[in-house]
Amino acid sequence: MNADGTIHAHKIRKSFGPKTVLKDVDLTIASGEICCIIGPSGSGKSTLLRCINGLETVDSGILKVNGDDFGYYETDTAYHALPPKQLALQRTRVGMVFQSFNLFPNMTARENVMAGPVLVKRADKKQSAKQAQELLTSVGLGAFGDRYPAELSGGQQQRVAIARSLAMNPEIILFDEPTSALDPEKVGEVLNVMQDLARKGMTMVVVTHEMGFAREVADSLIFMDEGNVVERGDAREVLTNPKEPRTQAFLKQVL
Amino acid sequence: MKQVTIERSKVMSGLDSALKPRLKRRSTFEYVSWVVCILVGIGILSSVATNPNFKWDVVAKYFTHESILRGLMLTIFLTVASMALGTLLGLGLAIMRASTIKPIAALAGVYITIFRGTPVLVQLIFWFNLSALYPNLSIGIPFTDIGTAIDTNALMGPITAALVGLTLNEAAYMAEIIRGGFSSVGKGQIEAADSLGMSGAMKMRKVIIPQAMPSIIPATGNQVIGMFKGTSLVSVLGVAELLQSAQLIYARTYETIPLLIVASLWYLVMTMLLSYPQSKLEQKYSHTSVRVPRRARKVTLTAPEGIAR
Repeated sequence: MNADGTIHAHKIRKSFGPKTVLKDVDLTIASGEICCIIGPSGSGKSTLLRCINGLETVDSGILKVNGDDFGYYETDTAYHALPPKQLALQRTRVGMVFQSFNLFPNMTARENVMAGPVLVKRADKKQSAKQAQELLTSVGLGAFGDRYPAELSGGQQQRVAIARSLAMNPEIILFDEPTSALDPEKVGEVLNVMQDLARKGMTMVVVTHEMGFAREVADSLIFMDEGNVVERGDAREVLTNPKEPRTQAFLKQVL
Repeated sequence: MKQVTIERSKVMSGLDSALKPRLKRRSTFEYVSWVVCILVGIGILSSVATNPNFKWDVVAKYFTHESILRGLMLTIFLTVASMALGTLLGLGLAIMRASTIKPIAALAGVYITIFRGTPVLVQLIFWFNLSALYPNLSIGIPFTDIGTAIDTNALMGPITAALVGLTLNEAAYMAEIIRGGFSSVGKGQIEAADSLGMSGAMKMRKVIIPQAMPSIIPATGNQVIGMFKGTSLVSVLGVAELLQSAQLIYARTYETIPLLIVASLWYLVMTMLLSYPQSKLEQKYSHTSVRVPRRARKVTLTAPEGIAR
């Protein structure tokens, strides 16, 4: 597997029924880049993120993840959907962290982290358990491996979910509003883990409302509104000195 | 004034008012219902005990009669076998029903409609008389001479017909129960499994089925109990299960009521025994109950702790 970690999108379109959620979105994210996507709700930012990992399929446009067409292969006339096995293989290289954690409630924290390597990659159980322990320790939950998700706080669950994504050694990790379902006092612990991750050179795309995180950690920032990328640029630059009036109006409201 | 009344009540009972027990209010209706129920109960019991037509001595004599016990064993066998096979088939049907491939989902849908929409009794008689439709069943390669033919009547004996009928009917009900269990698993769980690159079968085995269990188990327990009693229907095929065994005896001795009581008592005992493991299983699967994260609160958009430095 060639390490790549790039995302390239050109003229991505996506509709749900009559509603067009993504309107010719262009996006280029370099390997190791930390990119935050902000915007009002319904702006299409979550949908864009979900397309990158195949939870939604794009209607048209080019979408290359890790250098390959994602979920499809191209012929002279059309894009053809990949067989499930190949799609699954591509997905193992893109981690996803959800707003509502989505840990498997029937597995302990450790089993959750081991699920990907053991069940999907058929990795050695002992080795995976060791790796899971290391990952749990790295998110500050080394002593919580035997707990079930229901016995963990929201912040702890989200950190386990991050460890679960990391266990697959993805080149890219996507965060869909990872702190929005958390109690305010638990937001910091999750953002800390994400910040640690950012230093390790993994490509991260983060849909977030945490402007502080965007300012401190992100390389680039994208502001989306009504299915369009309205503004993109250096994170600090966009946050302090937005060019587009719509960005200015949004930031005025949230800051 | 108030002070005085408090003081006096203390004196009256000799107990500190703060330590007095708080008694539940019992309505007149409650007392009346106690009296009425006890009277009715005594009436029924004394009638049952004194009416010689119940013939309790006959009940006692046949309760552990050899052919009754053999009938009970067959009833248990039919319940276990058709329940196990029906659950497996039902699981297959539920998976088919959830398939994105339309004809497969439709096939399962048609099966469930037919087998839930017709009475089990009719289905049982139907399978028993299959030979009227297909006198010979042949196994072989279509459009060739290779294969063998079997006489349907020889194949579809009463017990086989009973087993086939009960299993196929049960499968339709189990399919619906299992499908209901599947749909109780959150969409986020499936997305999480997808994002890890799990295959469809893996997702089913490790994520969907274990989480569907808490809602499937109690309903299945009810089905087992229902099936246990439902096996009495196969007596029409002449299968000597519990009810038929009782019928065979009273056909000879004309002691109809006592033998029906014998059969009923066994059904009652067995269903009571069955409800115990069901409650155990329910407890076992309760720890997997899903904790739903609290709805997002309005987050104050300031630099969070540990980030601003």
